[in-house]
Amino acid sequence: MSKYILRRALGLIPTMFIIVTICFFFIRLAPGGPFSREKKIPPQIMKNIEAKYHLDEPLAVQYIRYLGDVVRGDLGPSYKYKDYDVNFYIGRSLPVSLILGSLSLLIAVLFGMIAGMLSSLRQNTWIDYLSMSVAVVGISVPLFVIGPVLMYIFAMKLNILPVAGWIDEKGFKALIIPVVTLSLPYFATIARLSRASFLESLRSDYVRTAKAKGLKTSVIMFKHVLKGASLPVVSYLGPAFSGIITGSIVIEQIFRIPGLGRHFVQSAFNRDYTMIMGTVIVYSLILVIMNFIVDVVYGYLDPRISYK
Amino acid sequence: MTDTKTNNSKVVLNEFNQAVKGVSLWQDAWRRLKKNRMAMFGLWTIIFYSLISLSAPLLPIHSYKQQVLEHQFLKPSLRPAGELMFERQDYLIRALAAKEGRSELNAAETDRLAELKASIDTETKVLLTGEEVLVHYRVYPLGTDSLGRDLLARIIYGGQVSILIGLLGAVTAVLIGVVLGSLSGYIGGTFDSLMMRFVDIMYSLPYMLLVIIFMAVFGRAIQNLFFALAIVSWLTVARVVRGQIISLKNSEYVEAAKSSGAGTGRIVFRHLIPNTAGVIIVYTTLLIPSFIMLEAFLSFLGLGVQAPFASWGVLIQDGVYAMTTYPWLLLFPAGAMTLFLFSMNFLGDGLRDAMDPQSKNKL
Repeated sequence: MSKYILRRALGLIPTMFIIVTICFFFIRLAPGGPFSREKKIPPQIMKNIEAKYHLDEPLAVQYIRYLGDVVRGDLGPSYKYKDYDVNFYIGRSLPVSLILGSLSLLIAVLFGMIAGMLSSLRQNTWIDYLSMSVAVVGISVPLFVIGPVLMYIFAMKLNILPVAGWIDEKGFKALIIPVVTLSLPYFATIARLSRASFLESLRSDYVRTAKAKGLKTSVIMFKHVLKGASLPVVSYLGPAFSGIITGSIVIEQIFRIPGLGRHFVQSAFNRDYTMIMGTVIVYSLILVIMNFIVDVVYGYLDPRISYK
Repeated sequence: MTDTKTNNSKVVLNEFNQAVKGVSLWQDAWRRLKKNRMAMFGLWTIIFYSLISLSAPLLPIHSYKQQVLEHQFLKPSLRPAGELMFERQDYLIRALAAKEGRSELNAAETDRLAELKASIDTETKVLLTGEEVLVHYRVYPLGTDSLGRDLLARIIYGGQVSILIGLLGAVTAVLIGVVLGSLSGYIGGTFDSLMMRFVDIMYSLPYMLLVIIFMAVFGRAIQNLFFALAIVSWLTVARVVRGQIISLKNSEYVEAAKSSGAGTGRIVFRHLIPNTAGVIIVYTTLLIPSFIMLEAFLSFLGLGVQAPFASWGVLIQDGVYAMTTYPWLLLFPAGAMTLFLFSMNFLGDGLRDAMDPQSKNKL
C-alpha cells in the first residue's frame, strides 16, 4: 500500500511537467505578446523590455530558464503589474479561492450524502421527491444563472445578505450566496449518485443479513451501507474538484471576490504570460494533488483495488 | 402501467392469440421512452426549440441586431414601444415635478410631452433591412436591451447559436470518441495502452483552463470556440465506447464475421459500433447540454460569441449587469436556456433508461 502511494506520488511529477510544458508552448504559439500595444513602441525600447524579461533568447533557453525558476518555487515577474511578482499576487489570492472552493465542496459532499441517504431510505416519499427535484435544478441550471438570481432575491430584494465582496469587508455573511451557488451542482450530482448507490447497497445480501440479525437501521446505514455506497461519490470527487475550480472562476467574477480566478481571467486577456502560467500551475497542482488523495482514499475504501 | 394497456387495446393480453413479433431495440426503446412523461416533455420541448430556431428568419420577429436607441430598456409588453416610452417620460417628468413640490406640470414640460406624443405617431426610421417603418409602433413582447434591441429576437437567434454549438460540438466529440475508442478497444495491446495513457494525461489536465487561455489568446471566433470545446470533450466518449467494445468483441457474431473473412475495419464499423449505438446516442444527448453550458460559461467570462451575434451565455451576461433595474434582461434568457437544458437532461436520462438492455421488455 505505502509503495503504491509512493509510486503514485512520484507519478505527479511527470504530470506537472507535462502541464507546464504544454502550457508554456501553447501560450507562446499565439500571435502577439504581452507588450504588443496599439501604439507602436520604438524598437530600441522594445528590445530593452524583451531583454529585461529574457524574451529575446531562443524559446528553448527561455523554457529551461522558466523550468528552473518554477522548480525553485519562483513563478517570475508579472509582465503587466510592475510592483510585485507573480508569487505575491497568487499568495494573496489563493487563500480566498481555497476557502471558497473547499467550503463549497465540503457542503456539497455533506448535504449531498445526507440527501442521498434520506431519499434512499424513504424512497418515493416527499423527502425523496424534494431532494431529487433540487438535484435536477442543480444539474440543469448553470452557476451563472443561479448566482445572479440568488443575488437578486436575497441581496437586492430582501436585503439580508451582501451583494458582493469578501469576508475582509463584509464579514462571513458574504460567504453564503457564493458558497451555496458553487456547491449546488455538486450537491446535485452527489445526491443523485449516492441515492442510486445507497439503494443498490440496501438491496444487497449483506444488508439483508444485517437486517435479519435485528440490527438498528442507523447501525446498518453507518456500519454496513455507508462505506460501500460512498465509493461512487469518492470517485466523483476528482471531476468535482476540477469543476469547482472552473466554477469558482465564474463565481469570483459574479460576486467580485478577489480570488485566483479573477487573476487568471484577467491575465489571459492581458497575455501576461508568467501570470497565466503561474495560475495554471497552482490550479493544476491543487487538481493533481486532490486526484491523488482521492485515489488513495478510494484504495482504502475498496480493498478489491489491487496495487500493481 | 399495464392496466392502461389492457384497457386500451381490444385484444386481451396473456392469451396465446397473438402472433409473436420480434421487437427491435429501437421499437422497444421508443415504447419505453413514450411511457416516461418527463422524457416526452423534454422531447417535445426540444422539437419546439428546434422548430423555432430553424424557422427564425421566417418568424414575424424583429432583427436581432436592429438597434433603436430611443427604445432602450423598455419593459416586456404587448403594447407599442411609443406608448411605453411616453409613459416612462411622463412618469419621470411627474416625479420630478412632485419632487419640486408642484402638482401641475409647467409649460415647458407639457410641451415636451406633447412633442413626444406627436413624434410617436409620425417618426419613421429606415431599418437594417432597408424598409422604412413607423418606428414607435414596434412591439417588444419581451422588452429591449441596453441598445434598444428586441430581446425576443435576441433570445431566438441566441438559441440558434447556442443549440448549434451544442449540436456540432457533441457530434464532433462523439465522432472522434467513437472512432478512437472503438479502435482502441478492438485492437487492444500497445495501441490501446498508449491511447488510454494519453486519455489519462488529458484527464488530469485542467482543460477548462486551457480552453479559456486558448480563447483569450487566439481570438473569440465561433470556430475557435467550437474547436477548443471539441478537442477536449471526446475523452469520456472514447472511454465509454472502449469499454463497450471490449465487452462485445468476444461475442459470437464477431467471431462469425471474422471466420468469414471480415477485416478489422468492417468488424468495428459494421458490427461493433452499431451495437453500441444506444450508449452513443445517450451520451450525445447528455453532451449537448454540457456543451451549451460550456459555451455559456465562456461567453459569460467574455470569451464567447462576439456582437452582433448573441448566444444565451452572452445574453445572460448582459442580463447580470442590468438585473438590478431591468430584471427581465436576466430572467428571460436564463429561463429560455434553463428550460432547454432541463429538457435535454430529462430526455437524456429517459433515453438511458429506455436503452438499458437490462430492462429490456420490462414495462
